[in-house]
Amino acid sequence: MTTQEYIADVTNKAIPSQNTVIKTTHLCREFGQDDTLVKALTDANITIERGEFTAIIGPSGSGKSTLLQLIGGLDNPSSGDVFLDNKNINRMTGTELSDFRRDHIGFIFQAYNLIPVLSARENIEYIMLLQGVSTAERNKRVDKLMHAVGLEGLGDRRPAELSGGQQQRVAVARAMVSKPSIILADEPTANLDSKTGADLLDMMKELNEQQHMTFVFSTHDPKIMERAKRIIRLVDGCIVDDERKN
Amino acid sequence: MATQTPKSSNSANSVKLDNNGSSTIIDQAISTQKNSSQRTLIARLAKRSLFRNTRRTLLTVLLISCSLAAILFTDAFVRGMVETMVKISTQTFLGEGQIHRVGFREANDIDLYIEDTTMLYQQLNTTSAIQAFAPRVLAGAMTSSSENVASAIVYGVDAIKEAQVSKLKLAVTQGEYLSGLEGEIIIGEQLADLLEINLGDRVVITVSEAHDGNLSQALFRVSGLFSFNERSMDIGLAFINLSQGQQLLNITGVHEVALRLQHLHQAQDDTLPFWQTLNNNQIETLSWQKLVPQLSSMLAMAKYSTLIVSIIMYVLVCLGLINTMFMSIFERHTEFGILLVIGTRTKQLFYQIMLEGFFIGLLSVTVGLLMAFILCYWGSIVGIDYSELEMSGMTLNEPIYLILDASSFTIMGIATLVVTLIASLYPAFHAARLQPSFAMRKTL
Repeated sequence: MTTQEYIADVTNKAIPSQNTVIKTTHLCREFGQDDTLVKALTDANITIERGEFTAIIGPSGSGKSTLLQLIGGLDNPSSGDVFLDNKNINRMTGTELSDFRRDHIGFIFQAYNLIPVLSARENIEYIMLLQGVSTAERNKRVDKLMHAVGLEGLGDRRPAELSGGQQQRVAVARAMVSKPSIILADEPTANLDSKTGADLLDMMKELNEQQHMTFVFSTHDPKIMERAKRIIRLVDGCIVDDERKN
Repeated sequence: MATQTPKSSNSANSVKLDNNGSSTIIDQAISTQKNSSQRTLIARLAKRSLFRNTRRTLLTVLLISCSLAAILFTDAFVRGMVETMVKISTQTFLGEGQIHRVGFREANDIDLYIEDTTMLYQQLNTTSAIQAFAPRVLAGAMTSSSENVASAIVYGVDAIKEAQVSKLKLAVTQGEYLSGLEGEIIIGEQLADLLEINLGDRVVITVSEAHDGNLSQALFRVSGLFSFNERSMDIGLAFINLSQGQQLLNITGVHEVALRLQHLHQAQDDTLPFWQTLNNNQIETLSWQKLVPQLSSMLAMAKYSTLIVSIIMYVLVCLGLINTMFMSIFERHTEFGILLVIGTRTKQLFYQIMLEGFFIGLLSVTVGLLMAFILCYWGSIVGIDYSELEMSGMTLNEPIYLILDASSFTIMGIATLVVTLIASLYPAFHAARLQPSFAMRKTL
């Protein structure tokens, strides 16, 4: 451990680094207690740089989703810390964390998870409405993203009126619309056929390269593994491999 | 490795000006716009979520609106019943107020009569609140026919004045009302049956005179039979002319003056000045509430029934609404999880659920008030017929007409809205306390 890391560890302050967007230190998550204690994640130390396209892989129950939840601030670690954009999210209040997620993190889910009572366009602009972005700016960003994800002309449709692939494209657009520094995607292609999944991944890869957003996937999908620049392998809650591709 | 310019805050917040004053104004404008867009968003979500399960929402609205309509119907019915019973009680014979010599009511002593009637009548004639008055003498008497004997209360009344105060003239079913001629008597149909007499038959009235208690008798011929549709009156009362009654009792004054007021509600207001000005050491003026306190108490109890019905209905409304809201919330756990995950504050989620409750309440109140108005208006025109039903010793011989009261509609409408908001608090707190990871467990 370097001196800087040691100080950060002790004071829970982030390491001042321009390029580090995600850093976890000794991250653990346990469920239950005594006889029923389950260690879902054990001592996970990860540093992810800005613009990385990272896949977290591993068998079912290996802790992928738990790690993603902790990184996204959706769950509290049993011990350890998560630093996003050099801020310790475990020290934030509920409101601060909500605002941080809104402004810094985009989420893509396996089951799309769009708001069913809102149209595709409204789903995409939801976060901007929370942020108070002006109508003109909202329209501009939504139009641009809908074009980018190939959903032009489908803005007024409700999620139930869209195919799975189209819904996931809306979810991608929603995740990216607030220009977050991190996009967390949990099995984003699991519910899609292979062609739609591949198209969607190509689209995300393109956005990653063009807009330098950091993507972190939890996946079993070989197509994601092929495209990922870095693969973190988890087994029984422990990081067993961290491979970077050239 | 690709790099990215550090993320700036959203465009709306990125405005920077050199001039501090202008910057503050723009910051305020941005804040206002942000709050406005958030409110719009929450309202839009609440409105659309409401009709996600239209059938359930409509059933809930129906439950609340029917409860509100039932409360208002009960209120209008009780108001109508109170007024009808008071009208029956006061306008049949009692009067809305009565004047007696002090102590007469307690002792029922025929010696306690009002002597100076001239001055009293002058005072009554000049009191604007009094529409009409009817002087009476009364005494317990023995009525005898050739066939039978019965006890009754014999009233000596001024035929013209009595007709302005009570319904005696209208109650005559056979023969003629009193005309002022000597020897006339009208008796109840049931008393006539008891004495086995009919129109034109002779009746002897025996009373004890005032002052010395000597027996006094007079012969009368039945000029009319009456029916008030109330057994105690139809079997226990007989009416003769006032002057003959005074002669029979050997008095110059009257025992009782029944009052008809300009408005019924004046009888319920003890603070009105005429109650005081008519009273002195010799005579007392009492409203119907004091003359028949048992009726007054019964009517006061009846008013509580509205409160009891309201409480029961509101409890049902609360439980029904909480049930519906929870069903809706449990179905949307994942959705709430997503909203929290993508940056919705718990406070905003709380407001969304409260707003859903408010919309349900608003819709229910609108429908409920409309239903109540139609029902109560119909009841106020047609009336509800309880003819011949006896309640607290009183025969409801005319329909109960419902009374619509604007203040009740306003108060109950607002109360229902408040109750729906209170009922929404629990589900709203539940939703606001959801942990994103718990709500999203199945998906992320």
